[in-house]
Amino acid sequence: MIQLGGSLVAVALLVAFVRWLGVARPTPPLDAASAKALLDVEFPDHRPKATWIASDGAGLIARDGELALVLYKRGDGYVARDLPWSAVASLKPTGGRVTVRVSDARPTFAVRDDVWPPKELS
Amino acid sequence: MLKAPFDPVQLAIPFFVLAIILEILLGRFGKAKANYETRDTAMSLSMGLGSTIAGVLFGGVVFATTVWVYQHRLFTIPMTAVWAWVAVFFLEDLTYYWFHRLAHERRFWWASHVNHHTSTHYNLSTALRQTWTGGVAGTWLLWLPLSFLGFPPAMVAIQKGISLVYQFWIHTEAVGRMPRWFEAVFNTPSHHRVHHARNPRYLDANYAGILIIWDRMFGTFIPEVDEEPCRYGTVKNLGNFNLLHNVFHEWVGIAKDVANSKSPKEALGYVFGPPGWSPDGSRDTSHTLKAKWRARVEAE
Repeated sequence: MIQLGGSLVAVALLVAFVRWLGVARPTPPLDAASAKALLDVEFPDHRPKATWIASDGAGLIARDGELALVLYKRGDGYVARDLPWSAVASLKPTGGRVTVRVSDARPTFAVRDDVWPPKELS
Repeated sequence: MLKAPFDPVQLAIPFFVLAIILEILLGRFGKAKANYETRDTAMSLSMGLGSTIAGVLFGGVVFATTVWVYQHRLFTIPMTAVWAWVAVFFLEDLTYYWFHRLAHERRFWWASHVNHHTSTHYNLSTALRQTWTGGVAGTWLLWLPLSFLGFPPAMVAIQKGISLVYQFWIHTEAVGRMPRWFEAVFNTPSHHRVHHARNPRYLDANYAGILIIWDRMFGTFIPEVDEEPCRYGTVKNLGNFNLLHNVFHEWVGIAKDVANSKSPKEALGYVFGPPGWSPDGSRDTSHTLKAKWRARVEAE
């Protein structure tokens, strides 16, 4: 138990050290160019016709026919998921944010003026 | 002869901690390529700690089985002979290669191993992101033939530990390429970056423990190429930083697929097929992802 306690303290100290020094990858807000680059990497077999970038630049939703291609920020990287466009189109933004339900997360996206779906994707 | 007088991994833990601190500092001050994300690091280190606890809980079963097999051994190999250490070095490393290949190419064992690959970072803390469910997955059975041959269980345990300690230092982007002769024979940061990459061209490659020669011999070697930097993680990266999700998500996925399967054959495919296997081929395996990538490259 003493060894376990010591190990837990060591883990906590190392994590605090990482947090203090801040050596994560820089992830500036997405713009059109970085959004396209990200889509090309994560969805290489898709050619989305329209892309909406969250107003805080921390994620995007692109539309390829009846499929929504979702990219959201997790830590200092992005997670890609796809889901039916109908599931995204029917969302209701509240307080300037819209929450998407994917299999293992509930990412939220900043929405300007609570307008949904955004005109870029309509 | 039966119980190892020392554990190389336990002895190396202070070195692991110091090396991680050094890598963080080198990354912070721009002296080497190294990125650490707080929650990602927390998960890696917690997995390492939990793995140790899981190992203790399951260690009795592994030890008892190994001793039982050793009692029925073919030969008696002396632990004091140099040739025996040379032999166990190569045989343990060959066993590791096949364990590792199985752990990637069959979903049941991938379920236990996937959590080592879920970090989207490649740093020394990733090396400690070890499985909690390896005992249940039973991959330790693959090492039993060594004891059956007559290698003392302590000898096998020490060599396994040496292999694990060796593999710690190759989990880094801070080291570019080693000298050519070293890259030809040994597993290196460059070779193992490929192994942790999710780029289709790099999938299912470089399973080596210490010696990369096994990959070269069995056709699974892929070199790192500068024009395509490695992107780390799994094909479908985790959507959250939940520790238990990381440990059990593939097991849960298998259970759901088996529950929804329409025949015993389908169920077996979901359990023992390659990761991503589905009866109608609607999901992607490494094989299909590579085929799609090749088709894109040829079309360009």
